[in-house]
Amino acid sequence: MTATMPPLATPDRTNRLAATRHGNRMVAQYWDDLFTARERGQQIVWYNGGALNPIFQAAGLAWCHGEAFAARLAAQQLEGPAQLAGAEYGYNAELCSYSRTHLGCAVLTVQGDEGAQTGVVGAHDQAELAARLPAPDFFVNNYAGCSTGQQWDEISYRVFDKEVPIFNISHPFLWGNKADAGYLQGEEWESASRYVRDQLVDLIAWLEERSGNKFDWDLLRESMTYIKRAAELRREGLELCKAKPAPATFWDWISAIAPINFLPGNQELVDYFASVRDEIQHRIDHGITGIENERYRLYFDGIMNWNKLGFLSRKFAEHGVAVMAGRYITNAFWQEPQLIDTDDPLLGMAQHYLLCPTNHGTRTLDYLTLRDCEEYDVDGIVFHSTRTCRAFTGPQRLLARSAQNNLGIPSIFFEGDVADASFYKEEILESRLAAMLEAIDVKRAQAS
Amino acid sequence: MDRPDTADAADPLAALRSIARDPRSYVQRWREEHPDRKVLGVLPMNFPRELAHAAGVLPVIVPDDQQPVTEGRAFLPEFYCGFTRNLADQAATGRFDLYDGLFVADHCIQLLGATDIVRELEPRAPVFLGQLISSLSDRGAGAKIAEMVATLRAEVEAFAGTEVTDAALAASIRAFNRDRSLIRRLFDARAAGDCAFGPVELQDIVASAQVMDPDEHHALLSAVVAGRAPRTRDDRIRVHLSGHLCHAPRRELLEVIEEAGAVVVDDDLWTGRRYLQTDLDESLPPMTAVAEWYAGRNVALPCPTRVQHDVDWDQWLLAAAERSGAEAVVHLMPKFCEPHMLYYPELRRALEAAGIPQLLIETEHEGIPLESFRTRLEALIERSHRNRPAYA
Repeated sequence: MTATMPPLATPDRTNRLAATRHGNRMVAQYWDDLFTARERGQQIVWYNGGALNPIFQAAGLAWCHGEAFAARLAAQQLEGPAQLAGAEYGYNAELCSYSRTHLGCAVLTVQGDEGAQTGVVGAHDQAELAARLPAPDFFVNNYAGCSTGQQWDEISYRVFDKEVPIFNISHPFLWGNKADAGYLQGEEWESASRYVRDQLVDLIAWLEERSGNKFDWDLLRESMTYIKRAAELRREGLELCKAKPAPATFWDWISAIAPINFLPGNQELVDYFASVRDEIQHRIDHGITGIENERYRLYFDGIMNWNKLGFLSRKFAEHGVAVMAGRYITNAFWQEPQLIDTDDPLLGMAQHYLLCPTNHGTRTLDYLTLRDCEEYDVDGIVFHSTRTCRAFTGPQRLLARSAQNNLGIPSIFFEGDVADASFYKEEILESRLAAMLEAIDVKRAQAS
Repeated sequence: MDRPDTADAADPLAALRSIARDPRSYVQRWREEHPDRKVLGVLPMNFPRELAHAAGVLPVIVPDDQQPVTEGRAFLPEFYCGFTRNLADQAATGRFDLYDGLFVADHCIQLLGATDIVRELEPRAPVFLGQLISSLSDRGAGAKIAEMVATLRAEVEAFAGTEVTDAALAASIRAFNRDRSLIRRLFDARAAGDCAFGPVELQDIVASAQVMDPDEHHALLSAVVAGRAPRTRDDRIRVHLSGHLCHAPRRELLEVIEEAGAVVVDDDLWTGRRYLQTDLDESLPPMTAVAEWYAGRNVALPCPTRVQHDVDWDQWLLAAAERSGAEAVVHLMPKFCEPHMLYYPELRRALEAAGIPQLLIETEHEGIPLESFRTRLEALIERSHRNRPAYA
């Protein structure tokens, strides 16, 4: 449960992208639309894992991404009531806080004064939850990598007394067993891609049958065309951020996750990412930087600490640190748009679901991390040792070792969590960060 | 370890106990006796050992060796379960040299984390993940299981350097079935009222079976069974032990449960009934039998690591308690075990509705607060006494 001291005031040396504010408004509008979806006669699907929203869009459904909702609550410091409901129901505080928060919402929905009849999450908690999350008509699980994801949706299904239909998509873990295995290559990759693609075909038939809505294939192609273009623009923007000093940072891209992760594929989405890229280009052209006085460039590994997003961005900037890239943004969220064939998008979609950054063995993660550290020319790595996310944290020690051995890059670990601020240890981050930056200074002095 | 040819005859249960508590010595002896054959470590809970046995390999379900985690702390965070941190420690300190390879069939993100550590630190040993589908309600689950079983067979053949014939596989199936069946007889007898074997003894019997060649285990266990007369349980509170996936609970914890005034009458522990509940169908072609065994295990004893919409661990638990006459349930949950954490509220809800007292005990790899557990167990037993007719 979140219960932390208010953060100390720190000088804000960040220079956040203005364009992301528009993204925030788009996201707020999306949630408002979702909260009123039932009133408009829409059926609602709760889902987890990879971005199935284009399929739901073409199936005429409103969609709620469980992790995104938990992240939103945490980012707004409103996760408390849901986590408390989950704790009272019996969920242990060491359980994935995304699932714990979302299952708490499910418990509140079932227990709510008006409950599933109105589709309103526990009416008495509405003000605190800042949410009017409609109850689901369907569950769809699309979790790759972390085994907890699949079990989480199965438990949601049980919390609703098995009365809400559920569909599961299984994803092979990309372990890299064979000699030909590697990032985007090898028989393991090819066969897994086909397997998941075939399940998407089954999902579409299931949704048609259960919802009574005819699936609109043209709409799927159209939305994936927009998403592909938005993803290309996003990659162009990420590429521009390799400039020195950095025109924008990891934290700006964190702010841009929600739009690429679950907003509808449409022209507005493309325009948004064009505006992000253009603003970054404008900054490069005019010498505008992402933080004041960049002195260090770091890589961030770990899932986001949503309670502390603004605070962390200020903390790193305060030390002159531009956080350049990270597994969570660089290697996730439609990150390989060239895989998407807009005329027949299912295979490329399946491949992106498999490319979840927790669905690789450490060998592939090592390749990606070293590649990104070199390309962004970073001085060190910050690992967010995410207390309740075993999927992100499992490979981190090996990645740190490899970065040190292969690139001579130091790293630090700090403790936190995705959606439970009580695991965050500010003093540890501060002292370890200061120590690493001092070590980087010493190394630079010795080299000069 | 004592030489089995002398120790076994004198006290076969002591021999099994010795192997359960010191599997390294058993494996070393097996190697000496089979110098041209390999030892394969497999991770719990679903790898079909019959495939490896049929290739002449000794398939050992890698146990938590109860050593404190030292070097392994550098490789997995402290919020991984004790079993996986112990595996990382075994790899980091060279104790994984016991095995020539490591095969995994389960998708648990913590197990995979530990497996990646082994792959990194033991490059001499092949490490193979052949992921058996965990969502058993999927439309194509049966075909996917059959496909993966065939892959596992091919990988085992490559590891062993020999073909797995259908005849050899059928023989291995018979051997494991025979051993499991004999162990199951003891568990069924316990549930029916026989307390000839205590919980620590039964755990040693299962833990040794998870390490040993099945024929050798069966021979020793047969001698144990022949030498032990049934004993009717007394009127202590009848307790069912639930959970503790992937590795054994500490023996002293089992002891304190009975010291507190309970008698364990059944369980669904990994080093208990969960290991032995399901046999392979010997009337089927052997590869089909392996695939159906996997698909059927979750029905025979539901597991929170599997997803199957119409199979309920909570309902199984209620039925098991009714069969054994259990009056209370003790949940043994290894700290940080997410499948168990997710499913526990469903168990709690069902037991509450049925009026069965229960207690959740979280266990850790290093050290357990035994006296604190004793107090809580005594309270559970006192509560359970009040449920008996004399107090009604």
